[in-house]
Order: sequence, then structure tokens, then C-alpha cells
Amino acid sequence: MNTHEYIDSLFADYQETSALADFKEELKGFLDERIKNLVKGGMDENNAFERATGELGDISAVAEEISRKKKQEVLGEMYLKTRHYMTTRRTALYVLCGAALGFGVIVAAVSGFFSGDANAPLGSLLIFGGIPILGFLFLWLTQETAVREAMGLRRALLYVAAGGVFLFGVFTFLFTYFEDGSGLPYAVATLIPFVLPSSAFGAFLLLTEKDRSKPWVARQREEHIKRSSGRFGDPAQEERFGLFSGALWITAIAAFILLTILFGVKFSWLALAAALVGQMLVTAAFTKSE
Amino acid sequence: MAPKLSSDLLRGHTDTIVLGVLMNADRYGLEIYNRILARTGEQYEMKADTLYSSYKRLERDGCVTSYWGDETQGARRKYYRITDRGRELYRQNLLDWEFTLKILDNLLKEEKR
Repeated sequence: MNTHEYIDSLFADYQETSALADFKEELKGFLDERIKNLVKGGMDENNAFERATGELGDISAVAEEISRKKKQEVLGEMYLKTRHYMTTRRTALYVLCGAALGFGVIVAAVSGFFSGDANAPLGSLLIFGGIPILGFLFLWLTQETAVREAMGLRRALLYVAAGGVFLFGVFTFLFTYFEDGSGLPYAVATLIPFVLPSSAFGAFLLLTEKDRSKPWVARQREEHIKRSSGRFGDPAQEERFGLFSGALWITAIAAFILLTILFGVKFSWLALAAALVGQMLVTAAFTKSE
Repeated sequence: MAPKLSSDLLRGHTDTIVLGVLMNADRYGLEIYNRILARTGEQYEMKADTLYSSYKRLERDGCVTSYWGDETQGARRKYYRITDRGRELYRQNLLDWEFTLKILDNLLKEEKR
């Protein structure tokens, strides 16, 4: 092994920042010259290498100061390993749902162009959009990945049922509003039989959900919490941060709804954009400065 | 039994030792290492990790700066230069040590009856 490879192997776990690359080059100079000196002093090359690398001690610990432990590894594991959990049948189902969704979108667009009203595209979206979306939901919930365990089939079906009724409710709302032209109050009334109970049921399911994270993810999360508490300093500060953010978003959503009713979506989205900017400012203000 | 060097005690003074080596000239990593090794009469080999974490710490605290040398042959060398702040720290550490040494010397002696 040459010194270059040796040093690379020492720091394999660290993210290659420019500071680390600099340090590695410095260290390589140190090792090479130290070995040369030892060889000049009469030692054979292999012994000199052993001796010089032994003198380094726990050098990778120095990297803690200048680089962070690799995150890519974790991300790589998350995404690459998902492949291990994909069976041919599941893959086929994913692709099928995607194709059906694509078909639905195209048919909706085409029928919208030709008929010129909202009824036809909505109808085709209800069938060819709704079903694949529910299919995706089911597949996603029952999918074991590198980061979480799969949900049981029965529970996943309950989610799908809630989602289905919810989607149906949304379409009913849109139909009533756009097609029948019966006005907003009637459209809102259709939320009662479908959207409301399915949301409630969905909320119940979510609240009674257990943590399916794999053990290593839970560990990662704990670390993250530790890090972020370091970032915010004290808990009181963090609580204020939460309150500020909460107030900001509640205001933003209220403004969004109000502006949508008054001026339409064309302008109301600005409320959300403003909130996003506000959130960044709040985060910046609360982040502990060095 | 022959006396032994207390490496723990030595390690606690790494920063001061490094600053002392840099007081009169800019030096690079291995040079500092070799000078320390030579001055202990080859008694104590301070590991490179101890030295390098000291360089990095001193650099971060603004006690030394570093720059790459312009060697035309062989590996490039990174030189360290002491700053005014580093000189100040060195003098203070030296004073602290002389003071501590006096007290410690006193403490370690057998107590008179």
C-alpha cells in the first residue's frame, strides 16, 4: 500500500471537504518524508512504512475538527437498498399505476380541449387519476424500505379506503362547484358526507400510528435532535421558535384562503411564498451564531 | 530504577511546546515533529495525531497561520507561522508553568515535621 492509498483509507468515513483534502496532502507529505528519513537511517522500506504509520496515532480523529462524518453513505444506503425490497410483482404494480396515471392525465387534457368544459376531464381524472393514486398509496404504505418497516395489509387498506372517500369527496366538491354551477355554499355542503368523515378517519389512523422506523433511523434521529438542540441553545429559545413559526404559518394559511376567495389563486399563492421567506428569516434569527 | 518521562504531563503542554518551536522560525509539520523528538533526546515520541490536532487548534484560535511552501521537488510542505496572539499565549503559558512548577515542587516534597 502506498501512502496515498493509506491516507485515503484512513479518512474514507469523512466527507471530502477542501479542508480535508488540504490536510490529507499535508499528511502525505509528512508520511513520505518521514519514511524517507527512516530509510536513510538504514531501515528497510516496509519497516519504515510500518513505523511511520504507527507514529501517526489516531490521526483520523483530527478530521473530526475539519470535516463531518459522511452523510452520503447513509443516503446511498437509503436509496440504493430500496432495490433489495422491490419484488418483480411490486415493480410491475408501480409501473402499472404510473402508466394509468399518465393515461388519465392525457385523457383529461384531451377531453378538456375538445369538450371545453371541466366535466369531462374531471370524470376521467376521477377514474384514471384516483385509482392509480390510491394504488400508489397502498404500495407505498406496504413497502418495506431501508428506513422503515412495511405496514400491515389490513391497515394499509383502511388508509386506502379513507383516501378513496376523501378523493371522491374532493371530486364531488369540484363537480358541484364547476359543473352544476350550484355555487360555493352547495359545494361546501358536499364536504360533509365525504371529505369530513374520511379526514377524521384518516386523522384517527395517523394519530394511532406507530413508529415503523428501522433502528438505525431512530438513532440518526436522536443525533439530529441533539444537534439541533445545540443549534438553538436553550429549550426556551426553541419553544419561542416553534411559536413564531406556528403563528407565521397559521397567518399565512388564513391569508391564503382569504385571498383565494377575494382575488383567486393567481395572487393568493404569494401569501405562502411570503410565509416561506418569513420562516427562513425566523430560522436565521433563532439559529445560534458562532 | 531509571526515571521515566511522564507523557501525560507532556501532552498537556503540546500547544506551548509547538508555539515554542515556532518562536524563531516558520516550520513545517515534520520539522516540528523532529525538533521535539530531538529535544527530548529521542525519549519521547509525541504522536503525529497529538501534534496535528494541536496545529489545527492553534490555527483555529488564531495563534498560528499556515501556508504552503513552494518546494519544486518532492512533496509540498505546509509551514506554520506564529502570530502575535500566539506569542502572547506562549509567554503567558510559560509564566503559568513557572508559577505552577514552583508550587508543585513545594507540594511534592516531603513535609517537614
